[in-house]
Amino acid sequence: MNLNYSDEQQMLRDQVQKFCESDYTFNKREEILKTDLGYDAELWKLFSELGWLSLPFSEENGGFGYGPIELSILFEEFGKVLIVEPFLSTVVLSGSILDKCDYDKKAELIENITSGKSHISVAYSEEGSKNDHTYSNTNISGSGSDLTLNGTKTLVLNGANASHLIVSAVMNDELCLAVIDSSADGVSLNSYTTIDNQSCAEITFENVSVDPSLIISKGNDAINLLDEAINLASLCVSAESIGCMTACYLKTVEYTKGREQFGQPISNFQVLQHKMVDMFIESEVCKSLMFKAMLECNSDSESKMKSVSALKAQIGISGKKVAQDAVQLHGGMGVSDEMSIGHYLKKLIAIDAMFGNSDFHFKKYSKL
Amino acid sequence: MEINFTEADIKFRDEVRAFLKDDYPAHVKAKQDSGEALTKEDMIDFHKAVSKKGWMGYNWPVEYGGTGWTSTQIYIFQTEFGLAGCPPLLAFGVSMVGPVIYTFGNEEQKKRFLPDILDFNTWWCQGYSEPGSGSDLASLKTKAVKDGDDYIINGSKTWTTLAQSADWIFCLVRTESGPIKQEGISFILVDMKTPGIEVKPIITIDGDHEVNSVFFTDVRVPAENLIGEEGKGWTYAKFLLAHERFGIAAVGGSKRSLKKLKEVVSELDNPELERKVTELEINLSSLEFTELRLLSALENGAHPGAESSILKIRGTEIQQRLTELFVEASGEYALIYPGPHGHGNNAKPAGPEHASQSLSKYLNMRKTSIYGGSNEIQKNIISKHVLGV
Repeated sequence: MNLNYSDEQQMLRDQVQKFCESDYTFNKREEILKTDLGYDAELWKLFSELGWLSLPFSEENGGFGYGPIELSILFEEFGKVLIVEPFLSTVVLSGSILDKCDYDKKAELIENITSGKSHISVAYSEEGSKNDHTYSNTNISGSGSDLTLNGTKTLVLNGANASHLIVSAVMNDELCLAVIDSSADGVSLNSYTTIDNQSCAEITFENVSVDPSLIISKGNDAINLLDEAINLASLCVSAESIGCMTACYLKTVEYTKGREQFGQPISNFQVLQHKMVDMFIESEVCKSLMFKAMLECNSDSESKMKSVSALKAQIGISGKKVAQDAVQLHGGMGVSDEMSIGHYLKKLIAIDAMFGNSDFHFKKYSKL
Repeated sequence: MEINFTEADIKFRDEVRAFLKDDYPAHVKAKQDSGEALTKEDMIDFHKAVSKKGWMGYNWPVEYGGTGWTSTQIYIFQTEFGLAGCPPLLAFGVSMVGPVIYTFGNEEQKKRFLPDILDFNTWWCQGYSEPGSGSDLASLKTKAVKDGDDYIINGSKTWTTLAQSADWIFCLVRTESGPIKQEGISFILVDMKTPGIEVKPIITIDGDHEVNSVFFTDVRVPAENLIGEEGKGWTYAKFLLAHERFGIAAVGGSKRSLKKLKEVVSELDNPELERKVTELEINLSSLEFTELRLLSALENGAHPGAESSILKIRGTEIQQRLTELFVEASGEYALIYPGPHGHGNNAKPAGPEHASQSLSKYLNMRKTSIYGGSNEIQKNIISKHVLGV
């Protein structure tokens, strides 16, 4: 039993931390958000050069073969500075599916991701699917080489920037995953911003013709690929939320030390001290659940989905509590958009809403 | 990172399990499993069994007769005892006064007191809190005045756990009064049979007699019973409080209770309660891994400090929550007062088995967030030493 990070993992953290602290100030983030793209293409190139975009891909697919522990390190650090770059959709969700699927031409798509050349998003969610990703009204009909895709997918992360989409659809009564070029005829897109400043899209497919060779997975295999990708993504956003919580209590301690009222720093008041201790404890116990989940994911344990559900359920509750208290202790400044603290609240609310909220995961946990 | 214990640790765990299977006194186990109160003799039998195995000094270095176990072994030992439903080992001798004696006592004192702690020949109790000194322990007023080769002690101690069974008490007493209250405190060992000591029971809200007031009237104690230097008692007291970090989370015992709670709740068809149990199960899992993280840091040579106050706070909250949910699971049978001092013949418990002890346990566990440095004091510690405010 050893829950200490290895030297290599510590080096990765140091590298990410250094980038986040020196190259990703809150002002820089504000600038990035003013652009049409919604993320910084130069930084994305840097992510590629640093090897971060290759992190989770297996070595046979040209990656580093790193796993859930390294991704958790990355996301925890990303959470501390509220990184908006679409790492989750392109590298984690699409990356996980491409890395594990049997599709024979996947090398090119993976190369496009790791080199930073293009983005790929997974379009699986639909209105009414209630986090059941086997639910799909989107379908592929026809036979032989004459296949067409029809349906609407919602909440596609980074959908507007994706050159390709991995779309789940029902074909011959079973779920399958198809790679679709976003610029193909019949693909239309309505994009919007999420409360945590990600980009998101609702995408409609109307008689889009599908090349049969681009159906990369079918049946149980397709469901498993989605299960795995969403489970890993849930772990990643949970790690991100722990970074957010850590930033929340640290920023709040700093703020209350500097803010004077009644002739003294408000950090002198015990009622505020205990609230900040509660924030610290919440984030630490969530981190402990993260250790359990990432280790079980890393060893591909049978109970990994259950551990991720425990984590996701808890960070939903704890994250909201920590960020709400952080806003409260910042007083009026806490609700000012120019301060970063409110953006952590928005991020934590968004994370709870993604991939099933607390209630969903409590139920899932008790059934597993 | 590695989630599994080493082969050597697993072997050790099996050894602990074998002891619990073969040598955990059957009559004690039967009572613990049914929730019946243990007598003084039961407690002695249990502790003697541990002594006989040579494990009483589980957290002591080898040179004083301890096991010299690693932090991981101590963790496994405590967790397995908790999982087996054992009563907690009394801390007053082995975890409190023992380490103070072998760290600050003289050779004579080590020879005189340590073997009896390891063999459980003496039952120790703790004379810290006073009627006016709870969280502000250093404000204590019990006085010890030097008189020839003796000290004469006057004052009173309170909340003294199991003083009615104890042979000896270790006390913080004031040997000098000055402007700084932490100075002038001394650490002294007192035989409970000394004339002038009076023990009066305090009945707690669960109806139990666990704690006491201990009054000292002109109690004459040989000066050779003073530990270390006169006036340095506060240093020893702080050392003692910092000594026992692990085990306070009580993960093993809570896991066992949770398992039972889940069995009970699964029969009730009560989704609201099931949800509360799920939340608690996840909380317990987070506590378990918090303890393992601290353990890993310790084994890696780090010195986790105030972070371990999390274990006290969360551990006790979870213990309390467990008893709360047992009460909820009792439904209307939570109505029946289980204490020994009620009316009626109490010929047989009313309602289901799990209900009969639920309320007394719930009431009893209120103490956990109050003792050992109240949870509010723990938050002060984290605030000062971790957050730096």
